[in-house]
Amino acid sequence: MTTRALDRPGLTLPPFAAKTVGIVLLFILWEAAARAYAGSFILAGPLAVTAYLAQHADLLARATARTLTNAAWGFLWGNLAAIALAVIVILLPRMERLATAVSLLIFCLPLVATGPILRVLFGTGEAPQITLAALAVHYTTFLALMVGLRAVPQSWLDLVRTHGRGAGAQLVYVRTVASLPYLTAGLQIAAPAAILGAMIGEFTGAERGLGVLTIRAMRAMDVDATWAIATLAAALSIAAYGAFGWLGRRLTGTPPALLLTAPRPAPPRTLGRRVLGLAILIVTPLLLWYGVMEAFSLNPFFAKRPADILAFLVTGPEAAAHRAALLGAYAETLAFTLPGYAAGLALGALMACALLLAPGLGTTMLPVAVALRSIPIVTTAPLIVLALGRGAAGTIAIVAVMIFFPTLVACLQGLRQTPRQVVDIFDSYASGRWRLLILARIPAMLPAFFASARMAIPAAILAVTTAEWLATGKGIGALMALTASTSDYNMLWSAITLVALTAAATYAAVSALEDAVLRVYAAEQVAR
Amino acid sequence: MTTTRTFHGLNRRTFLSTGAAATLALAGRPAFANGKDVALQLSWLHSVQFGGSYIARERGYWAQNGLNVALNPGGPNAPVEPPVVAGNALVGISAADYTAAAVAQGAPFKIIGVAMQKNPFAIASLAANPVNSPKDLEGKSIGMALANMPVLQALCTLNDVDIDAIEVIPTQYDAAPLVAGQVDSLLCWATDLPVAMAIQGVEAVTMLMADHGYAVHSQTYIATEDSLANRRDDLVALMRGEVMGWNDYLADPAAAAALTVEMFPDAGLDLPTQVMQAERQVPLMFSDLTEAQGFGWFTEDTVAQNIETLALLDRNVTADLWDRSILEDVHAA
Repeated sequence: MTTRALDRPGLTLPPFAAKTVGIVLLFILWEAAARAYAGSFILAGPLAVTAYLAQHADLLARATARTLTNAAWGFLWGNLAAIALAVIVILLPRMERLATAVSLLIFCLPLVATGPILRVLFGTGEAPQITLAALAVHYTTFLALMVGLRAVPQSWLDLVRTHGRGAGAQLVYVRTVASLPYLTAGLQIAAPAAILGAMIGEFTGAERGLGVLTIRAMRAMDVDATWAIATLAAALSIAAYGAFGWLGRRLTGTPPALLLTAPRPAPPRTLGRRVLGLAILIVTPLLLWYGVMEAFSLNPFFAKRPADILAFLVTGPEAAAHRAALLGAYAETLAFTLPGYAAGLALGALMACALLLAPGLGTTMLPVAVALRSIPIVTTAPLIVLALGRGAAGTIAIVAVMIFFPTLVACLQGLRQTPRQVVDIFDSYASGRWRLLILARIPAMLPAFFASARMAIPAAILAVTTAEWLATGKGIGALMALTASTSDYNMLWSAITLVALTAAATYAAVSALEDAVLRVYAAEQVAR
Repeated sequence: MTTTRTFHGLNRRTFLSTGAAATLALAGRPAFANGKDVALQLSWLHSVQFGGSYIARERGYWAQNGLNVALNPGGPNAPVEPPVVAGNALVGISAADYTAAAVAQGAPFKIIGVAMQKNPFAIASLAANPVNSPKDLEGKSIGMALANMPVLQALCTLNDVDIDAIEVIPTQYDAAPLVAGQVDSLLCWATDLPVAMAIQGVEAVTMLMADHGYAVHSQTYIATEDSLANRRDDLVALMRGEVMGWNDYLADPAAAAALTVEMFPDAGLDLPTQVMQAERQVPLMFSDLTEAQGFGWFTEDTVAQNIETLALLDRNVTADLWDRSILEDVHAA
């Protein structure tokens, strides 16, 4: 099929038929791949999966109900927290850096550290799974929503101000409506993340659920069960993704407005204010870290405080050896993080452009993208390793798979935000789709793209550590996994600190680049 | 704020009802009327690996000793040591090497009983390319978590094997790489991945490391020094129930497997797998020593062998890590 045919399916096939053909092809490809790998216990095809689903309907229904309930609660709490935080930041713009930093740092906490803490805090129930699902969604929703709340024409804000009303009224009457498409994209990103978060949360010692069944099935080499559960998780995620997309289209009837904000020069900031700002950014997380652990009386055996890490890495007797071990692993990790991050971002953005140029691709590509995001990486990693090996290609592929989805969704939504008037002008000059894409749509996408570039930073680091744990056995990921058997929680928290610092520094660098670009292309996004 | 209200309103009713269901489910746990609530932190998901404990609960061996024991499952990201240190669990199921590491990090643990007299670590291989002795590893590849390098190193040292002649490939804990031919052998427990392969029709060769000098107590019961000083009665009652449960297990492992599958319908357990696992762990847990002295027992000799192997793992411990006083009370009665 040519792009033209995909672009205008009405000219060749009726849309419904085109969609059906795409989905059928996908299933045939899947079955063929499963047959090609038959005997290696790595992939089960749709026929085997369907048989397993039918034979174990009761068990899977109970597990699904459990996991989905936890995911829904986590989705609710995580998104409510994100929305509350975004509202605070819009009303008190000075809080932005701090709020973003804390949000980012919490997102950086790996399961090896949060698992035991949540279990000790909450006991054996469902609360740890719900919390982990919430943690999996709050950061991405917060970032997406922030872009949306700012995507408003200056003239509308001025209109509110001329009526003598302040930031609160602007938020209620102008910003909320403008943020809806972005919030929708945020929720679409969050839905599979919540399901995955609830499943992974079950790895911390849950009684039941799809995550528990996944561990069991993989240990038992029950490849039909493994892929039946993966298919279920993917199907649920695709349904949730579709539902929020539908809801978003219902809620946002108006076409995107022309923002027309004049480019804004960077305001001067005195050295004193910069230093103060940085000091607040460093001290507050440290206080939170210490304060939360003390408030809950978390045992210092596994809940290390900032002072423990200082002693372990700097002042203690074997600090030099600890630093050497940590930094050696860190260097191995960095070597894969950057290419994986770049590959994931590029894949997401390019795929968004491709889907815009050839919407017909969406029927098959979007479900695959959602599925890749919602199936635990423990299930897909063996397949990637088999195809690409345990070297750089395999690791980078695992990272790209774990981070490209939020970029795709955010960019797709950003591309659609191109103001109707701008598109009309291009149309009236009969310029081609490529010209429209490059000159109008991609600039309109930039705020969303940068938001996803910021979203992907902690995700990329966590993805590399996961790949290291599953495939290469090197780097910070392997070091952190090792702490579970050696109780070396000092090393674990040192690694977390280093990871968090890296994420924060990268975030600052991406933000600086973003500031420079958006001052020209989307000045409304740049906080004053 | 209209948006948030819409989303909230849409979801609230469903969430309220599911929340109520969750509360009911929690309230519906099996509760024995008068027992004192304590928890035993298991080291993995529910399976016949802990069959004796399930028997103890099912047949009331704890209830008759005045305890109501919650059996908390573990998982890939659920280390045993934190809940025991924090007091969430009275006793945890650990292993001598894990416990030694935790003690080195400041955790006040003692090993108060040993369920697996022989360490379950094994080298699994396929019959066409078998590893029957440690020497056979030279020139072959092995799939394992790199975290277990010290274990492989210890095996090589004990048996004079050149570790550099072994190609180590980091893999997930999964038998598929061996079956698919990505690796020649796997470092795994004798009681899980080889059982999975057998059930799938692939009969593996299993070389138990304990048969080649690797002496590390596994599935050990750990408690804190504080509990040993202040909660002796609870510890004795808990271990008494364990001993009674595991004695019943030895009499009929298949029944223990059936009970496990029945008790945990949501765990996705398969009866033939559980029966085979139940049978294969019997020789690891029961020996002439336990025959003579009772389940869970250890002696100065077995402790000394452990200290030697642990030293190869860079874990330097003394016999103080073990405390037999609880078991002595249990078996004296």
